[in-house]
Amino acid sequence: MMVDTEKNSGTVALRFVKRQPILILLVCYIIVIGIVKPTFVSVGNLKNVLIDASIYGVAALAMTIAIICGEFDLSLASNFMWSQIFFCFLLNEWGGTGFGIFAAWIVMVLSCIAIGALNGLIVVKGKINSFITTLGMMTIVKGVCLVFTDGEMISTNNEFIKMVGKGTLFGFSYLTYIFILLIVISFFVMKYTRFGRGLFATGGNYAAAELAGINVKFNKFIVFVILGLSAGISGSMFISRMRAGSVLYGTDLSLTCVAATVVGGTPLSGGKGSVLRTVVGVLVIYVLYKSLSFLGLQGYYNSLIKGLVLLIVVTVDAYMTRSGKVRRK
Amino acid sequence: MGSINKRNISFVGVIREWGLIFAILFIIIIAAIINPLFLSVNNFINILRAVSTIGIAAIGMAFAIMGGAMDLSLGSTVSLAAVVTMLVMNSPIGIDPATMNLAAIMALLAGICIGLAVGLINGIIMAVVNGRIGESFIITYAMQIIVAAVALIVVKGEFQAAKYPAGLFKNFGMGVTPVLMFVLVAVIAQLFMTKTKTGRYLYFLGANMDAAKMAGIKIKQVRIISHALCGICAGIAGVLIVSRVNSASALQGQGYELEAMACVAVGGTSLAGGSGGIAQTVLGVLVIGVLATALNVLGVSSNQQLIVRGVVIIAAVILDSWNKRAKLKEVA
Repeated sequence: MMVDTEKNSGTVALRFVKRQPILILLVCYIIVIGIVKPTFVSVGNLKNVLIDASIYGVAALAMTIAIICGEFDLSLASNFMWSQIFFCFLLNEWGGTGFGIFAAWIVMVLSCIAIGALNGLIVVKGKINSFITTLGMMTIVKGVCLVFTDGEMISTNNEFIKMVGKGTLFGFSYLTYIFILLIVISFFVMKYTRFGRGLFATGGNYAAAELAGINVKFNKFIVFVILGLSAGISGSMFISRMRAGSVLYGTDLSLTCVAATVVGGTPLSGGKGSVLRTVVGVLVIYVLYKSLSFLGLQGYYNSLIKGLVLLIVVTVDAYMTRSGKVRRK
Repeated sequence: MGSINKRNISFVGVIREWGLIFAILFIIIIAAIINPLFLSVNNFINILRAVSTIGIAAIGMAFAIMGGAMDLSLGSTVSLAAVVTMLVMNSPIGIDPATMNLAAIMALLAGICIGLAVGLINGIIMAVVNGRIGESFIITYAMQIIVAAVALIVVKGEFQAAKYPAGLFKNFGMGVTPVLMFVLVAVIAQLFMTKTKTGRYLYFLGANMDAAKMAGIKIKQVRIISHALCGICAGIAGVLIVSRVNSASALQGQGYELEAMACVAVGGTSLAGGSGGIAQTVLGVLVIGVLATALNVLGVSSNQQLIVRGVVIIAAVILDSWNKRAKLKEVA
């Protein structure tokens, strides 16, 4: 049970905004873009941004939980790759019946969890830095994907999957609801359960958490299981939009998720942060990416600006954090 | 009982100390049994030539990692150095036989300067934010995007083929020249790390940044130097690649940073910083290089080789961490 020192100051919403200069920056940015390119702020376009953000957002939530717990996963992108390829393959095999689709999804997610659990076992049992473990696993899983597909794209024409990707409820895509549901669950777990507070403690001070009777090894392990699960979920969400799997999709997933986490304001040192901040980070990154392509710049200049903005945000954030000028001491 | 234990430990200790060398010998013996041609001198020169570029890049990465940071922009720096080198060599002074040797030197310097510039930017930002491995990760990732974009802008995304005639520049990548360059870089780096004050400070910085600061080390300066050296190595690697393959594209160095990191890790340098060395990194490069060639000889496809390489990375790191823990127990 951690002591929350800030529990009594103001309402939750107000405190959240106060500690989120990035959020204010995001709103200002949308307003500026809206003046330059009014079409960007149309409801339809913002909904599209939300859908795209949902897919990587699910993985980013898991990455945030891992970073809070002091771990890291470079293999998430490869795991995501495997999930879309394997899911497409299974859908083509079993996708005729409703039960087949369900079974395909379960088997695919289990395989992704297995990859994550393997990472977890190596990190916990072998006491290896998660960075290098997942670097190795990234190479292995990418190799498996390439051998499995021979580098070719696998596409699927499954009607149910098409419906999930295209369907809307109250005007918002199903994918957005899945993302929101997962945000709520992960926020609740991280904030109000013994398990979630244990993850914070494990990332903050491993030795102290162990002495306090927290099952730190289990926590480290379960974080990788969550990462695997998230790769499976976001992979299947991606398939519902693209209806094709390839080793070329999602190569930037791991680093985008880390960037979203850091831009949102969860420090990479572990023990601090929140999944809500990461949601803001994901939105910032996606609004930025999408607005740049809206401005009609050439592809190279797009990524140049992307990199510059990321660099500036991170530098300012790191500088402020280190010099202790704002929030989270 | 005590004496038997002691003997056991010393025997295991030998394997531990020389583990990577045994690994290299083991791979060579297996490959030679399956295909005796593997043992030819030519083959070994080929292996050395093939690993020299990634080797130089890995030495650069080792500088960053030993200082307790990371450089994800290394691959993009290699690409940028490669395309700029190509621009210099394809310009009139590179094509004209009278001035082409001068152009070759200029190209090499251009590559080094680009690496130095990227490294300095990384280092200065890291110094300003007082960053550790986490910050270095995300800062150099942003730099990776930026530098890759600059490389694409420089060549407008087009593949560049060599137009210059054979001469000094092509010689950079032929025969034993790249191997000699690799050895030269490795020796200078080793001397820097072991004999100079800054080199020793770099270890200290990687091991414990706060302690280093309190000990009066100018940590910002050391941090900038470590990133600058990393950039310079990436620049040299970029120039060598162009001279070896006689072409350049903005994607030339893609994935180099992860390969270099793998070499460093297999060599036994902890990614947490403060330990390891250049010699270990060179051994790590050789293990990965010999393994890749051996797998080629065995007819394993490049996709399957990815799987093997990943397993080797994880296995090497697990073995290394067991060794270190066993050593700690012996001391205790």
